[in-house]
Amino acid sequence: MGQKDTEVRMSLQTLRVLETFLDNPTEQLAGAEVHQRCGLASGTLYPILLRLESAGWFVSQWESIDPSSAGRPRRRLYRLTSTGLRRAGEVFASFNRGVLA
Amino acid sequence: MSQRHERSMRPDCNGASHWLIRRAAHRVPSALSSRLEEEWLADLETRSTTLSRLRFAVGCCWASLVIENEYPRSRVAAASAVAPAGGFFTLVDRNFSYFSLRSATLFLIAGLHAALFFGLINSLSHTQAAVTPPNLQNQEVAPLPPEKVLPSPPGPELKHWTIYVPKTAVDLPPKLDFEPDVIVDVSDKPPEVIARPPGLETPTHVVQQLVGGPGAGFPETADFYPSPSIRLGEEGLTTVHVCVDRKGRLTSEPTALKGSGSARLDDAALRLARAGSGHYRATTEDGQPVNSCYPFGVRFQLKK
Repeated sequence: MGQKDTEVRMSLQTLRVLETFLDNPTEQLAGAEVHQRCGLASGTLYPILLRLESAGWFVSQWESIDPSSAGRPRRRLYRLTSTGLRRAGEVFASFNRGVLA
Repeated sequence: MSQRHERSMRPDCNGASHWLIRRAAHRVPSALSSRLEEEWLADLETRSTTLSRLRFAVGCCWASLVIENEYPRSRVAAASAVAPAGGFFTLVDRNFSYFSLRSATLFLIAGLHAALFFGLINSLSHTQAAVTPPNLQNQEVAPLPPEKVLPSPPGPELKHWTIYVPKTAVDLPPKLDFEPDVIVDVSDKPPEVIARPPGLETPTHVVQQLVGGPGAGFPETADFYPSPSIRLGEEGLTTVHVCVDRKGRLTSEPTALKGSGSARLDDAALRLARAGSGHYRATTEDGQPVNSCYPFGVRFQLKK
């Protein structure tokens, strides 16, 4: 079943997450890296990531490494979808116009 | 926190952090449980300090609560741990939106307020019950038997009271109850002495009282006999009461004590009494004239 582009409750923390991904839209980021860049606590960050993923703004997949050789567990990586990129752009554009999306 | 101390605590804190994350991951829906556990444990390894690891683990616990409440209504494509790296998706379509984390918090706060209010009311009621003395507490009273209709009470009992009046030290003489028998006629009769009533004992000093009456020069009865009465043949005796001083003069207006049956004769008798002022014979006591009041009779009688 495909992903759905549903409405996402747009909070300040969500905007910070989106802004982090918009800095480099093609980059895949783990939750720990998002935390390091936007400073959100884990209790806030992971629900937002899941929310955006369920809305189709993000996709996630496991890191393609061998944990034994890398010496660390594999991480879950998130990246913006084309839909997420467009919608995030619209959101920030509406902010520039002074209208909340 | 020093590095030495941190190193000594690290194994325990690591275990606690892992334990918290596993607990948090098991709280979320099963479709996400294994994924989030692995993801969070991997991200945990990036945290360097014990405190940050604990904070991360506690944050995951909070995140699991949020996800637990949001997950059913969010169509999350959850890639399970066993799924291929690029694969997705277990779609869960449960709707528990009516019981979100916000609602749960609201219910919790409302419940706490209700419990606080209930406890406060209970404590107040217990305090009041302790203060209330037992004799003021409500008690159920058995229903009263039907009231008997009592007979009406008897009337007030009247007692015959006897009033004893102490006797006075002075023995009063009995009341005089006799008709004055001094009747003055036109004819000159010597005055009579009023007889004492029987039973009146003679005091030690007996006052010789001679009651007065019409004296010398007293007008004639015939001169005051009304003409109509003469024509009609009216006759009668009128008793007149006069008060006379020592010189035989009236001291007050004479009055008719007993009428004759004819108003004309009574008026004529009073006129006669007035006209006789100065001609009355004063009452004497032991021979001395005194002021006194006495009755006398005026008889109007036609000559045959």
